[in-house]
Amino acid sequence: MIHVQHLTKAYEDLRRGRFLAVDHISFCVQPGEIFGLLGPNGAGKTTVLRILSTVLRPSSGIATIDGYDVSHEPAEVRRRIGFVSNNTAIYDRMTAWEMVGYFGRLHGMQRDELNDRLEKLFSQLRMNEFRDVPGSKMSTGMQQKVSIARALVHDPPVLIFDEATLGLDVLVARNLLEVIRELREAGKCLIFSTHIMSEVERLCDRIAIMHRGRILDSGTLDELVDRHEEQNFEELFFSLLSEHETAESNEQNLMSGNYQTTTETLATTEVVR
Amino acid sequence: MSESSKQKRERAARVNRPRLETIGLIYAREMRDQLRDRRTLFTIIVLPILLYPIVGMLLLQIAQFTQQHPISVCVIGMEHVQSAATGDIPPLLVEKEAEEESDAPVKALPQYRFADAVSEDVRNVNVTTYRTSELERTGDLSKRSETWVRDGIYDCVICFETPLSGANPVHPNEQGTIGLFYNVASDQSLVARERMASILNRWRGTWVRNRLSSAGMELSVLDPFQVRDVDIAPERTREAAFWSKLLPFIMLIWAMTGAFYPAIDLVAGEKERGTLETLLCSPTLRSEIVWGKLGAVMSFSMMTAILNACSMLVTSTFVFNQIAIGPAGGSMGTPPLIPMLWLFVALIPLSALFSALALAVAAMARSSKEGQYYLMPLMMLTLPLVLLPMLPGTTLSLGTSLIPVTGMFLLVRTLVEGHMFEALTYVPTVALVTGICLWMAVQWARRQFESESVLFGDGDQWELGAWFRHLWRDRQLAATPTVAFGCGAVVLVGLFFGKLAVTEMPTTLAGIATLVLIPQLGLILAPTLLMSIMLTTSLRTSLRLSLPSWQTWPVIGVLCVMLHPLYIQLAGWISTMYPLSDQAAEAMLPFTQQIASAPWTSVILLMAFVPAICEEITFRGFIFGGLVRGGHPLRAVLVTALMFGISHGVLQQSISATFMGLLLGWIALRTGSVLPGIAIHFCNNALSVSLQRVAELDLPILNELILSTANGPAYHPYWTACCFIVSAACLGGIYRITQNVDSINSNDALADRVILGSNATDPSLKRLSPATQ
Repeated sequence: MIHVQHLTKAYEDLRRGRFLAVDHISFCVQPGEIFGLLGPNGAGKTTVLRILSTVLRPSSGIATIDGYDVSHEPAEVRRRIGFVSNNTAIYDRMTAWEMVGYFGRLHGMQRDELNDRLEKLFSQLRMNEFRDVPGSKMSTGMQQKVSIARALVHDPPVLIFDEATLGLDVLVARNLLEVIRELREAGKCLIFSTHIMSEVERLCDRIAIMHRGRILDSGTLDELVDRHEEQNFEELFFSLLSEHETAESNEQNLMSGNYQTTTETLATTEVVR
Repeated sequence: MSESSKQKRERAARVNRPRLETIGLIYAREMRDQLRDRRTLFTIIVLPILLYPIVGMLLLQIAQFTQQHPISVCVIGMEHVQSAATGDIPPLLVEKEAEEESDAPVKALPQYRFADAVSEDVRNVNVTTYRTSELERTGDLSKRSETWVRDGIYDCVICFETPLSGANPVHPNEQGTIGLFYNVASDQSLVARERMASILNRWRGTWVRNRLSSAGMELSVLDPFQVRDVDIAPERTREAAFWSKLLPFIMLIWAMTGAFYPAIDLVAGEKERGTLETLLCSPTLRSEIVWGKLGAVMSFSMMTAILNACSMLVTSTFVFNQIAIGPAGGSMGTPPLIPMLWLFVALIPLSALFSALALAVAAMARSSKEGQYYLMPLMMLTLPLVLLPMLPGTTLSLGTSLIPVTGMFLLVRTLVEGHMFEALTYVPTVALVTGICLWMAVQWARRQFESESVLFGDGDQWELGAWFRHLWRDRQLAATPTVAFGCGAVVLVGLFFGKLAVTEMPTTLAGIATLVLIPQLGLILAPTLLMSIMLTTSLRTSLRLSLPSWQTWPVIGVLCVMLHPLYIQLAGWISTMYPLSDQAAEAMLPFTQQIASAPWTSVILLMAFVPAICEEITFRGFIFGGLVRGGHPLRAVLVTALMFGISHGVLQQSISATFMGLLLGWIALRTGSVLPGIAIHFCNNALSVSLQRVAELDLPILNELILSTANGPAYHPYWTACCFIVSAACLGGIYRITQNVDSINSNDALADRVILGSNATDPSLKRLSPATQ
């Protein structure tokens, strides 16, 4: 469903100059699967997901969704994805019903079809009690539900959740994870980014650990634990990260005899920290 | 995939064409969203409806206040007035009627007022009178009068300083003096002075008449004729003239304001809330979003303008009728309503223009607050275009019709005043200019919505030190666009101040040399070279000094000579369209004379060689090289031409330089080098300064080409036409020869590769991520 190969995204930055926010990453996600992108803040998760949702163009590499290339056929890709971002993007002066309906119309749904779909979604997500509440009056939980309903309105085969549990209370977050699980049962292809390990452990079928734009390792939870011979996932995560950092700095010290590169690397390391 | 490539292309075109339905959907949402916003509703609907009546009411109040406010006047030297009021001298002041004072218990000093014969309106003037003897003890009369006026005790003091003629017992024919003390800083005092001066004038007039008639002379000797003022404009036109100035102004200002706030909310606000990202993930095209939002912003802009204009019309009709201010001091009457409909027609494109500009600027902001900061400069930039037509003497002509916004404004004014046919002749130019501006503004807005850095540029902290380090560390082969813009700004600002420093035109060749060399070398070339050395790694690449392909050389050579007649022709057209003022021409005269008489080689060096090198290296070299990067040839050509134009101080020169800049920019783009530009620029300037000398050589062949006219030598029209054809062919030739535009782009790619290459030594690029290994 989702194929990503050697995906790279470079940015110009004031302090770091040109740097790679996403550095040659590759992965695949199948339908009926939840793929977790785990990594600390600034690892490049959001950039990857934004490229997948076609709002950013990759510098190089290929990403396809359902066979459509994100940079060449963005319109086709957008028809097939639902994107839930980390800020619950809601129009303040629109009610829940209008908001979800608006995006349904943008996806080209006809009125009757849309109304049926809205009724179904609103009862499924238990949103009927606030269907006429404007966005500015909603609680964060309500807003997150509207966001999900908006992403689901056109029944896309691929769903992208970018740190969707950020800022939600435990109850709402739990509800959200429940919804995501239900979506998997329905055969959707899900990609889910977070920096919270417990979520990944409970939810994801396969995991990729991202750090500084690269995927350090990926596989199922069991595979990862086996491969690195750590007793639990948290230990695994930290050991991977620190291993990577020392390896990186060693490598650079070895490779670059010249002074300048070393100082630059150190500066970069500092900035990322 | 059995689709042929043609079908694929068609499908892609279909996919990329904005759909009306989606635009409508977005438009409807934005409109509903804005109409639900209380702040928007207030500024756009409630404010205009309330504003004008309130302002009108205030105006009325103030008008009444000023009318009723009495003027206090002090007359010093009553004894002169009284002694004068005998015989043929009319009275200036009369005692107030007793009835006003009958209630007073004590018989007070006599109160005076101005006599009816000398004053039209004797009410609202309080007169205090003193005899000279009453004040003389306290010091100098003039000093005392001054203090009184300065302290505001009296608005005006009339001081009879010496006895008046005829009332002077010693020298009956000596002229008397009356001091009229007033304070120009106080409006009230100015009003009082006006009234007193007119009273004194009238008094003198009556006095003279009385004297003449008593001497047995005919009064008509004083007034051999009278002037009959006839304004042939009918009342309607006079009213139209007033309204046709005021209303478009009000409407445009509000169209601008009305576009700003929705634009900020619809773009910057939406970015801030994060909803823009979700909108971008939906299948709507960027162009659909832009058109939908543009439509909404434009609707609000027009609504604001129309509501304000209507509200103002209604209120002002009432208010002006009451307080009678206007062109002829009479009432404004009602504006001519039917011609005003033209205003609404003109409002549509102008609103669209403002909306597109506001939308594009608002897209740069990350939050509503930031948006407000950005829109203020935009308003400041557009305001002169709206104010220009308000200046007296600005009328619709070919020149003014080519100025955006101003042209449309003047066209509407002409239509409202009823000169239908005159207006119609300018419709094409105004429509063309407005159309071009509108297209550019919409393109800009669309580009903003397609730019990642605009939409997702996270505001990492900008810091001076980090920025300098970034400039130094990330030096590239050629300038970056930012550096190029910076260089342009430094050069133009430097030239502006340099121009201010020059106070008078030099009259010697040495003076002219400094006048040319200092700006050329110091203000144009030096900053460019400095930036090129410090901020790029290769002088050759950043200044585009590479040789163009050898095939272009002969073509460039032909262009060097053939372009000059065209330039002269262009300059001629421009000077008929925007004539040079006599004053400016006179100021240039010593300059031209010096040029004509100085030795030829030094003139060529000064006027052709130095400017060609300095200006070309800066504009077509360094700045062009920075702006063309990243696949922006249009930007590079347009911006450098504009900067090149602005760098020439005189408007007429600027316009022709801009056009030449476009051509030179295109050649620089095609050849990828600054050298052809230098050659053409040099020849053009050299021919301009030596045409006179060439004509004086009196060679038979040249005499066929160069005519001598009253304004000096000029090219034969046939030669100009011939040059036009040949030049066009040469440009076509350049287009053919330089197949790869991208000698620059390849430069660019090279520059970028070098940057990447420097990173490639960094291990991060070489190693693949573990997942793919």
